[in-house]
Amino acid sequence: MANTGPESQTILVVGGGIAGITAAVEVAETGYDVILLERDPSLGGRVTRFARYFPKLCHPTCGLEINYQRIKKNSQIKVITMATVAAVSGQRGNFTVTVETQPRHVNAKCTACGDCARATEMEVPNPFNYGLDRTRAAHLPHEHAFPMRYVIAPEAAANGEGEKMKAACKYGAIDLDEKPETFEIKVGAIIWATGWKPYDAAKITAYAYDLSPDIISNVEMERLAAHDGPTGGRILRPSDGEPAKRVALIQCAGSRDVNHLPYCSRICCLGSLKHAAYLREQYADAEADIYYIDIRAHDKLEAFYNRLKADPQVHFIKSKPGHIEIGDDGRPVIRGEHTLSREIYETPYDLVVLATGMEPTAAADYRPPVELIQDEYGFIVPDDGVDGGMIAAGVAGGPLDVSMSVQSATAAALKAIQAVRGV
Amino acid sequence: MAQSAPDTARKYDLGFARWVYENVEGGDKLSMCMQCGVCSGSCPIGTEMDHGPRKLFMMIRAGMKEAVLTSNTLWNCTKCYRCVVRCPRGVPVTYILGGLGTKAVEMGYVKTEDTVRFSKAFWWSAKTFGRTDERLVTSRYHFSGGFGEGVKKSLANLKIALGMFKAGRLHLGAPHKVKGTKNLQAILAKAQEIEERAGETER
Ligand SMILES: Cc1cc2nc3c(=O)[nH]c(=O)nc-3n(C[C@H](O)[C@H](O)[C@H](O)COP(=O)(O)OP(=O)(O)OC[C@H]3O[C@@H](n4cnc5c(N)ncnc54)[C@H](O)[C@@H]3O)c2cc1C
Ligand code: SF4
Ligand code: SF4
Repeated sequence: MANTGPESQTILVVGGGIAGITAAVEVAETGYDVILLERDPSLGGRVTRFARYFPKLCHPTCGLEINYQRIKKNSQIKVITMATVAAVSGQRGNFTVTVETQPRHVNAKCTACGDCARATEMEVPNPFNYGLDRTRAAHLPHEHAFPMRYVIAPEAAANGEGEKMKAACKYGAIDLDEKPETFEIKVGAIIWATGWKPYDAAKITAYAYDLSPDIISNVEMERLAAHDGPTGGRILRPSDGEPAKRVALIQCAGSRDVNHLPYCSRICCLGSLKHAAYLREQYADAEADIYYIDIRAHDKLEAFYNRLKADPQVHFIKSKPGHIEIGDDGRPVIRGEHTLSREIYETPYDLVVLATGMEPTAAADYRPPVELIQDEYGFIVPDDGVDGGMIAAGVAGGPLDVSMSVQSATAAALKAIQAVRGV
Repeated sequence: MAQSAPDTARKYDLGFARWVYENVEGGDKLSMCMQCGVCSGSCPIGTEMDHGPRKLFMMIRAGMKEAVLTSNTLWNCTKCYRCVVRCPRGVPVTYILGGLGTKAVEMGYVKTEDTVRFSKAFWWSAKTFGRTDERLVTSRYHFSGGFGEGVKKSLANLKIALGMFKAGRLHLGAPHKVKGTKNLQAILAKAQEIEERAGETER
């Protein structure tokens, strides 16, 4: 092989979740140029939609905000939102990447004053809240968005509503003619941090997700508990807005299951323990039943499990339920076998939360347009890549929690630096 | 008070799980079971079973041969396959229960079980006519326990029979047959022969 050495020292990070942000900041603070591509209108990925983090129950915005400050201060990071990778050619040290962007219709002059949103009545399903509510067709992705800039839904830009918004904007920030664009960049290494998407709960037909608004997934539970969510942070039944006092949390919903995701996502047990904690904080008389096969609280996270176990209003039921039916009063009824006593139970609840797992984005709605080493589930094998020039970080590489995602991102940053230095 | 040691030699056969693995249809998948309870919790007649599939599978591991082979779980299973469809580990629960039932009969563990007698009557009709004739299957089953019991059972079911007759679900006269019952019997005889041959090579 001709030893030409790396031609570009720029590092590309695909995906601006907690892993991608971390990798980008680490690379830039070491003195390298980095381009961070994010498909959504703002950075942060899945964690921006969480109410709080286990095990300390702190707010995700804290950690994210610190990272956004680091990005703002560093001129070596270029962030491109609403962008993805359409093609890759070349090899370690010398990649040509085709980037594709979608129109936001709002440029950098935006001050986030919100006049455009007030100029329209048109609403669209709110992607930030998983469609649990609706939002204006011109909106800020969420209150801590980075970049802090509005976005206009494509359907609004095309009809007369767009003109109203444009007329209302005092800063000339709205460009209704913006089109999708493609352009090429040269980079020496690529970090894939494309993360995950929640497994589609509707596919687990026995759990009747489609039959009742009171059967929700764990990511929706995060939105119900979040202060900027559809209920202002109160855990209410979606059907009638009443407080949810009897709540079931079903573990391994579609996980460790040959019919769905065959692997364990590792974080859902802790996620549900966190949900029980949210509930118990809100209502003194609430009770949570956690249905489990085995609780997987590894290493130091076991302390959090023990804390919840000590609460007499949190019950642990060793059983993977058979199915959920809708009772005569409209409440969901869970049926299954209590495996310790062999009793068959049928228990009604106000709210049922399905702890669905994390499906790698690279196996679901975005197949990277280049040969990568992926395992049988679609996770990108973290360290080697085909020739060492492409590295995975965060959940793109395997089911990890935030602290492990951040560690893997730092490791990926070092690998990428080695690639662009030709070592 | 002194307690006598449990009679483990008789009740626990530690080679039983291996025997099931090697001799029962689907038994080689039993090691995949993670005791989650989905099968028993999904079973429409789970409450009518003494143990249900999940617990029965644990009993196999524990070597409770006699308790397993005399369990009514083998006979109350309706073969609806709900458990097979839902089992997160791909365990062919229904096949295993069926296979255990066959072995239990062969080995003389089951003599009077109602379901066994019903199964025999059902199979007789399927084999002879290529169809199940409700009337003949039922009467054969009713009388399989002796004449007196047959009369008693038939009378008890008279109302159901009349209802079925009115609804056109029970016909009188010659039984329905498939075309070519001779061919059917030849096929079945061949299948039997293959099964026996397979059994020999296993041994
Ligand atoms: C219900 C639930 C609760 C959880 N709670 C906790 C918790 O309390 N504490 C904890 O430590 N962990 C928790 N986790 C785990 C946590 O969500 C993950 O560890 C974390 O999201 C991983 O971050 P990431 O950056 O790898 O992926 P993501 O957050 O998925 O980020 C990936 C980013 O890449 C972008 N992207 C995807 N494809 C492309 C593309 N082709 N081009 C450009 N951009 C792209 C996405 O838009 C996204 O912004 C929880 C998980 C679940 C399911
Ligand atoms: S559903 Fe499958 S894995 Fe679960 S207890 Fe039954 S056989 Fe075992
Ligand atoms: S096949 Fe048998 S054991 Fe399985 S769910 Fe149906 S009746 Fe129950």
